[in-house]
Amino acid sequence: MPESVEYGNKTLIISKDFGLKIDGSKYKDKAGILKDGFTRLLDVVTSNNVIEYNYGKKVDQSVLLQGIHVVILSEDDKLQYGVDESYKLNIYPKGNPNYAYIEAATVYGALHALQTFSQLCHFNLNTRKLVVSQTPISITDQPRFSYRGLLIDTSRHYQPLPMIKKVIDSMAYAKLNVLHWHIVDEQSFPLEIPSFPKLWNGAYSRPERYTVAAAADIVSYAQRRGINVLAELDVPGHARSWGIGYPALWPSKTCQEPLDVSNEFTFKLIDGVLSDFSKIFKYRFVHLGGDEVDTSCWNLTPRIRKWLKQKGLNESTAYEYFVLRAQKIALSHGYEVINWEETFNHFGSKLDRKTVVHNWLGGGVAEQVVKAGLRCIVSNQDKWYLDHLDNDWQTVYMNEPLTNITKPEQQKLVIGGEVCAWGEHIDGSDIEQTIWPRAAAAAERLWTHPDKLAKDPNEVTSRISNFRCLLNQRGVAAAPLDVPGRAAPIGPGSCYFQ
Amino acid sequence: MTWQSICLGLMFQLIMVFGANYPKNINIWPMPESVEYGNKTLIISKDFGLKIDGSKYKDKAGILKDGFTRLLDVVTSNNVIEYNYGKKVDQSVLLQGIHVVILSEDDKLQYGVDESYKLNIHPKGNPNYAYIEAATVYGALHALQTFSQLCHFNLNTRKLVVSQTPISITDRPRFSYRGLLIDTSRHYQPLPMIKKVIDSMAYAKLNVLHWHIVDEQSFPLEIPSFPKLWNGAYSRPERYTVAAAADIVSYAQRRGINVLAELDVPGHARSWGIGYPALWPSKTCQEPLDVSNEFTFKLIDGVLSDFSKIFKYRFVHLGGDEVDTSCWNLTPRIRKWLKQKGLNESTAYEYFVLRAQKIALSHGYEVINWEETFNHFGSKLDRKTVVHNWLGGGVAEQVVKAGLRCIVSNQDKWYLDHLDNDWQTVYMNEPLTNITKPEQQKLVIGGEVCAWGEHIDGSDIEQTIWPRAAAAAERLWTHPDKLAKDPNEVTSRISNFRCLLNQRGVAAAPLDVPGRAAPIGPGSCYFQ
Repeated sequence: MPESVEYGNKTLIISKDFGLKIDGSKYKDKAGILKDGFTRLLDVVTSNNVIEYNYGKKVDQSVLLQGIHVVILSEDDKLQYGVDESYKLNIYPKGNPNYAYIEAATVYGALHALQTFSQLCHFNLNTRKLVVSQTPISITDQPRFSYRGLLIDTSRHYQPLPMIKKVIDSMAYAKLNVLHWHIVDEQSFPLEIPSFPKLWNGAYSRPERYTVAAAADIVSYAQRRGINVLAELDVPGHARSWGIGYPALWPSKTCQEPLDVSNEFTFKLIDGVLSDFSKIFKYRFVHLGGDEVDTSCWNLTPRIRKWLKQKGLNESTAYEYFVLRAQKIALSHGYEVINWEETFNHFGSKLDRKTVVHNWLGGGVAEQVVKAGLRCIVSNQDKWYLDHLDNDWQTVYMNEPLTNITKPEQQKLVIGGEVCAWGEHIDGSDIEQTIWPRAAAAAERLWTHPDKLAKDPNEVTSRISNFRCLLNQRGVAAAPLDVPGRAAPIGPGSCYFQ
Repeated sequence: MTWQSICLGLMFQLIMVFGANYPKNINIWPMPESVEYGNKTLIISKDFGLKIDGSKYKDKAGILKDGFTRLLDVVTSNNVIEYNYGKKVDQSVLLQGIHVVILSEDDKLQYGVDESYKLNIHPKGNPNYAYIEAATVYGALHALQTFSQLCHFNLNTRKLVVSQTPISITDRPRFSYRGLLIDTSRHYQPLPMIKKVIDSMAYAKLNVLHWHIVDEQSFPLEIPSFPKLWNGAYSRPERYTVAAAADIVSYAQRRGINVLAELDVPGHARSWGIGYPALWPSKTCQEPLDVSNEFTFKLIDGVLSDFSKIFKYRFVHLGGDEVDTSCWNLTPRIRKWLKQKGLNESTAYEYFVLRAQKIALSHGYEVINWEETFNHFGSKLDRKTVVHNWLGGGVAEQVVKAGLRCIVSNQDKWYLDHLDNDWQTVYMNEPLTNITKPEQQKLVIGGEVCAWGEHIDGSDIEQTIWPRAAAAAERLWTHPDKLAKDPNEVTSRISNFRCLLNQRGVAAAPLDVPGRAAPIGPGSCYFQ
């Protein structure tokens, strides 16, 4: 729901030669970002019906909408954390010809406006025309949080490029703006790393890999839709697959995780990976993981135990040493770092002060993080893990990132939240219906002004049902709302009531 | 698992990991009638093109051209290809395009159209062209699908290549009817979903979309002759206009797929009465359609008249299954009529079905009916009737003995909504079981897998259909000599096809779980 909406009841018909004009824009759209967004708009609003464009003999220009006039105030199309995503959308049926009017600070705000516009269009069964039926309409809108994320996991199961691109398309429909790409983990290492070319020997198979060009293609595809890609390198605890190509990274052949803290090669390799990352992933942040580190291999491996003793470290301080050293490497490549909350829970005061702490274990963490003056992303698993199939959409909707955080300066430190679709049971066959429609509930929580959020999720059931059916109509396999995550419909029935 | 299959599996795994060449077995699904291949690799050229010199078919409608564009789309969708060849390009290792020669200028798609093709890639030309010869454009489309499966991305060179040339393929389908049923009455399917299903059917060379449009739950289709019928839709947006239905038919036709429309009378039609309550025996007893009311048949005539303007396939499906006639006897008005006519529930059912058949015939259709009609009054059915088996095995045998044609869909093997029908079960279902006489074999025109929609909406249609429908597709396409006797012989090839579907954006489910289930744990697409 936008920040502010005023509307009437006059219907305008989308003209056959519905067009885009950008007169008066500082933004010149050389890269075609806006033009492509407009083409996609036309695609999605016409995909589920065959529109008739003959108007009969006398066309009354005053009931036609000739196009959209977009004025973008900044010529810069750089997409980065904190980019201005606000927009205004007005449709006043008094022009001759009529144009919808969009004003936005950046092209990415304008893309959001086009998404909103697409949801105002519908097919009129009587006239067989595409119409906007609630004009005059005046919308002012901006996101509540700058970070509105979705995690996908291509280590537990490889996701082909078309699947990732479909996810990106659908994220844009819900105004999510960060694809957190958990690329590699202990199960497989699908990404090409030119500095260490044997790393992707840890892929499941040859075809289940991403070349640098493919990863860059994903980043570019997302960027053109206003979505940043946050790459994750989950060290040291989720990295067993790295050792397929470089066994020296394993403590030993029988004890393969976490990465060998005692080996300088480990950090040289992380440096190489992050150097390669920085050429592909231009988001301000990189995610360095740091969760679920079982350090027992370090003590069980005589060589490492000896090294720990020499350095005066124990398992716990060695974990800290590893994470902080990895942070420094990332900082040296120009990144700010996101780490999972265990790093904060164990040695929060030692973390780089620009660290963003990524909550996942449970509620109440953000409160602690922002009190400590660090930034936070909220993903408490009991509400926002989409692979927890019993997290229904109401639960997702009601998860408030600012719970118990009242001071404005602390509230600002919560940069947003993220729903996570961990891939143990998600492959190319079920990614869409695991994500949707529940991710849409989080998307509203993260986008919409708190005054416009429903206090009781049942108030928005019909609106979210409508959105899930819209996703279906756009070819997205969004699951029913009245069953656990990704379950089949319980019986025959309308999309709007399941 | 046999010792051999373990070895083959290991070999496959080694190949996947170390990446020498692709598996020894050629990965084409469904398997062509004849394939000979070598081991020379050709690189797909940057300006890979289509030429049709020498074709009688002129492609005015762009069917072949669009098929070629889709080919380029699917083979490049999962990778970013590099097309710089360095300084010296050796023309002899490049494949410049495909030369298609089609012998018939006719692009009419109809039951029995010649779908055969030959595909040769002999790297001795200058420049090199793959060569396709087909009787019709629809055979040529199949050849393009086969070609698409021969292409793969070479990770070392970052080029798209065909690695098993010279290659010679001769191919044609075993059965003319290779169907998939979708059901838009239990759940509406938006147009993009239906189109995605059609796209994926073409990948597996299925050629009939059996569209079970309406049923007792909802009536989503516009019928201009009786405009209140689609009042029985679930909601306003959950409807198909005539233009939308025609769009589906055209979309399918351009991919070599016929659309078989079904009107399941009289037993699956309760939703019709939302718009026309006179079709119900009574308000409390709403099914089957009122056999005593002339309006019922007038309406069926109108619907089939409208159908005939949209659905140009030779056949229409008139259902006729699961007719519980008790409402007819429970409704005094109808009971009285039955008595007057000297009918009982059973003969009234026969009367209804036969009269509906006559109406369909009058609109130029041949009729398909579910098997209950045959089981109850097979000898009375129009002799051109195709009997659609579903209840169990052994029915086709009876049908062809009686001289009628048959489509096989026994639910214990080929209902995809039966989630425990695994791909091996689907693969091993032989339509000609116990049918040995050639003239009887010819009467089995094919088979169909059915994805009934009680638990299938826009969220799970693809993974319910795939990959299991692919197993049936090979059974229906491939020459019996080339079919595996043991489905485990083809596990790696069907795994490859399911991963290919994923790579093309189709949500095909794992093979090692029940229908449409999530993967059981982390792992490779090729081994789940």
